Amino acid sequence: MRALGVDIGSLTTKAVILDSDRLIASIVIETSDESEQSARAAIGEVLKQAGLRQDNGVFIVATGVGGKDVSLSQQSKSLTTCLARGIYRFFPSVRMSIDMGAESSTIIKINERGRLNDWVNQDKCAAGTGIFLQQMAKLMQMPLDEMARLSFQAKSRAGITSTCAVFAESEVISHVHREPPTPKEDIIAGIYYSVVSRIISLCKRIGIERDVAVTGGVARNSGLVKILEDELGFGVLVPEEPQLVAALGAAVVAQESIDKGIGR
Amino acid sequence: MVIDVTQTTAGQLKTLGRFRQINDTFPRTEQIREHKNQGKKVFGWLCTYVPEEIIHAAGILPVRVTGYSQEMELEDGNAYLYINNCSFSRSCLQMGLRGEYEFLDGMVAGSTCDGARRLFDLWQHYIKTPFYHILTVPRKYTEKAHGLYYQQVVQFKEHLEEFLSQKIADEQLRHSIEVYNQARVLLKQLYELRKADTPPISGAETMEVLNTSFHMPKETFNQWLKELLDELGKSSNRHQGRARLMVVGSVMNNPEFIKSIEAQRGLVVTDELCTSTRYWSDPVVLAEGQSPVKAISRRYLSNFPCARMVPSDERFRRILNLVKEFKVDGVVSQIIRYCVPYAHDLPLLRDRLKDIGVPMLALDVEYGTSGSGQIQTRVQAFLEMLEARKR
Amino acid sequence: MKVPDTKGNKINAIIRACRIITRMNQANPDTPKSEALYYQMLSSYYTRLRNAHDEGGFIAAHTVFFPSEILYAMDIVPMHTEMTTWMMALFLGEQAEILSAGAELGLVPEICSPHRGLAGAFALGALPRPDAMLWSNLICDNTAKSGELIMELTKCPGFFLDHPFQRSEAEDKYLVSELEDMIDFLEEKSGQKMDWDKLSEIVQKMDHQMELLREIGELRKAVPSPFPNRGFLQLLTVDYLCPGQPEAIAYLETLRDELAEKVREGKGAVSPERFRLMTLFVPPMYLMGFLEKIGQEYGAVSVVEPLFTRWAEGKLDPSRPLESVARKTAMIPERRSMYGPLSQEVLQDLIDCAEQYKVDGAVYWAFMGCRHTCATVKLFKDLLNEVDVPVMTIDCDIVDPTINSEAEIREKMEQFFEMLEDR
Repeated sequence: MRALGVDIGSLTTKAVILDSDRLIASIVIETSDESEQSARAAIGEVLKQAGLRQDNGVFIVATGVGGKDVSLSQQSKSLTTCLARGIYRFFPSVRMSIDMGAESSTIIKINERGRLNDWVNQDKCAAGTGIFLQQMAKLMQMPLDEMARLSFQAKSRAGITSTCAVFAESEVISHVHREPPTPKEDIIAGIYYSVVSRIISLCKRIGIERDVAVTGGVARNSGLVKILEDELGFGVLVPEEPQLVAALGAAVVAQESIDKGIGR
Repeated sequence: MVIDVTQTTAGQLKTLGRFRQINDTFPRTEQIREHKNQGKKVFGWLCTYVPEEIIHAAGILPVRVTGYSQEMELEDGNAYLYINNCSFSRSCLQMGLRGEYEFLDGMVAGSTCDGARRLFDLWQHYIKTPFYHILTVPRKYTEKAHGLYYQQVVQFKEHLEEFLSQKIADEQLRHSIEVYNQARVLLKQLYELRKADTPPISGAETMEVLNTSFHMPKETFNQWLKELLDELGKSSNRHQGRARLMVVGSVMNNPEFIKSIEAQRGLVVTDELCTSTRYWSDPVVLAEGQSPVKAISRRYLSNFPCARMVPSDERFRRILNLVKEFKVDGVVSQIIRYCVPYAHDLPLLRDRLKDIGVPMLALDVEYGTSGSGQIQTRVQAFLEMLEARKR
Repeated sequence: MKVPDTKGNKINAIIRACRIITRMNQANPDTPKSEALYYQMLSSYYTRLRNAHDEGGFIAAHTVFFPSEILYAMDIVPMHTEMTTWMMALFLGEQAEILSAGAELGLVPEICSPHRGLAGAFALGALPRPDAMLWSNLICDNTAKSGELIMELTKCPGFFLDHPFQRSEAEDKYLVSELEDMIDFLEEKSGQKMDWDKLSEIVQKMDHQMELLREIGELRKAVPSPFPNRGFLQLLTVDYLCPGQPEAIAYLETLRDELAEKVREGKGAVSPERFRLMTLFVPPMYLMGFLEKIGQEYGAVSVVEPLFTRWAEGKLDPSRPLESVARKTAMIPERRSMYGPLSQEVLQDLIDCAEQYKVDGAVYWAFMGCRHTCATVKLFKDLLNEVDVPVMTIDCDIVDPTINSEAEIREKMEQFFEMLEDR
């Protein structure tokens, strides 16, 4: 029996398949309007990749937005649990993991057995998320990865203090139009720092504990991760495919259910 | 020479530079370092209802705990005080947690508002300072309230004596009263100059002076202020703006904020801030043969009130007086988000100002703001409206 | 400011709702008797308020945690402003109207919503016009600052009761003298005299009332715990509205007996009981029904609310009624944890509660309008985590239903239960 995990995010849907601990397939697709539809598509794709059929002994666990309503899945788990299981699979030494997704950030703490101990999320505010960074990229008129690259050249960080995405935008505009304009790399560093600062503040609410991992789509932004490390004062662990962590966690949960004999 | 208020006179006022030096380096100022190096103690105090003279009389340097006089990232402040306590209390805690106040030998607060008392609670729990004290500050001005507050000040003094294993003599208290009263008199003189149609000092410059007044030894401050007043007496600088403004509301000690108003030629001539007028306005009146502690406690409770006091009439009465005395055209209220006492008074104050025909601009701000684009836009519209009224 | 017309006040809405609930309860044989007594208590409180002016009575509006024992002893009709406003708003679904009326007065969103609403409700004429406004700094800046605007809105006289921040002999004396001044004020304005014998009697009953509340607290230690989630607000309302009143005693005595019976029979409020929760601060009023439902679904029950239902130990002395009223205010659970310097005793009590009540997890309702309760989110979490109690914090508004949806709270709760299970 194979374990399949599917994570429906607000921008992308991810699915992975485990064959007793071994990752045999993974896929990332764009999320459509319907959670159900996205899940169905991702599950179909990942099965195809693994050369499997759905009725062919696959146990499916869903998580993420509307994860509970996925009709193909046998079980659903919350994102926090899946993040915990997933990151523990990557790095057993991790005690705190920061997931930065498109629309929300979730910070979890896990114990030495990989069980969720605490979490905090930021879901009511756009500032500090992937979508916010995309908006900023549009404002700076450059692709996300170029922004990240440029940020390494920053000599200082432009002050962006607004805790609200809308006002932060106006601060960025004023930096651009200032005479002389603030260097682009400094503005970018300022943007990243404002995101990082908010994230660290959330981490501190539940108490920072090492090792710290970073997951979610935003974790691929090396410029931002660097500033996060600078502010934390130590290095963080980033899995190879950071956006797959929750889906992997869901698959781990599925594997556990299989092992307990629930899937039979 | 009449100059526009937008022009900075900093270069011209020679004696202003050293005040600025303090502001730029606080809390790691040379004065504080020197004081510590002499083996003497430094205490932090949180709010204008803490009687500074008691601390001073014990040979301790009282320093007001504030944030930097600018907006700052509040990672720790937000995590520990949550995001709905005012940004002033979060800024102070942020600095405390970061070790910026590690030189403090004591922390003294009053039960003035929720933000202040919770800041004190968390400070006590998470930041190790050798001495803590919080005074119960009544919210009324009745004789009974004065009686209770006097007793609170006595208790504070005794607690301090116990901590220092030394008595604070009346003689020392009398001396401290003199020093502090002198500062009050000098600051009043400075404000008197601002009553002129074209004052020799701008609002932003005044704020630079005030911001040092509670961050350095009073004796030196008095000396410096005397020299500034001398210089102002001789100076031919005259500031002119489109309208004369008064700033009211929450704690504020950032000269940049005033500067952002004056950059649009709104001349700030007076205020009702606990960092400014409310800090110095009333002297300690020590009658012949009276106990200095009694005189001090009376002054601190009956001083120009904070919005925490009930009824608010006394605060409103004093604001309206200042409006008249300083020929104020418009009032700028800047209330820090979640500064509840001031927020509650806003509708009442607006009505009273309306009755005497003085418009008010109400700004929601964060502590330390230097006046963002949005604030500038609103100030500009307000100034245009005031100008139109004059025509 | 214009004095609003209060002829169309909406007190009747509360009385009507009590009547409907009572009728529904009568139709259901399983409804405990205490439930009927509770709504009877509410109904008689609001009937008295509705009829007050027609019967020549004197209405004193007051803020929360106010010693209304004094008012009862003077035969003055109390109107608990927060409770009345929000109970009315809840029953009528008019939260939005009340909050926007508050905003129109110029009250900014950072002022706590219940207090923004008070002014709004008075401005709308939704509450009867008080003959006097009484308010105090117990428990926060909002209560301390509510009174003056209401005085101005209703053109009524007012008295501010100044509660000292800490406890000492001088401060206790000051509070007693404040109570004396307030009695003088009320006697002058109402023409009614303080009946000291009656006050002694109320104090005696109050003592019994506190004892009953402590006993109920003890009974809730049982596994499974017998008291339902939806009952939380009821335990608060008793003291808010009817301190030392026979209706309150009747309700609490019956409730205690019912709970004792359930404990004897080993019956819990939820079955099977899977999660024993500690509630920190108060959940949104409009979600009480939902919390009951989700509690039943998941076998989760709130067993203790250290900040709201833990009355301090101690006896009152009816022969010294005024001192006793002052002393009682210091025994109020909220007073202990939310006013005065945060003491070691309060922090220890939190940990003791976790242990004595065998708590699996705590839910902290971080009401964004309440600055001083949110200021302890991190501290309490740190302390409880040390004794291995996980804490979930939910940002919320306790009266404004537009801030949190049931779906959102459900998601958080389910996540929390999943985590507790997983551990």
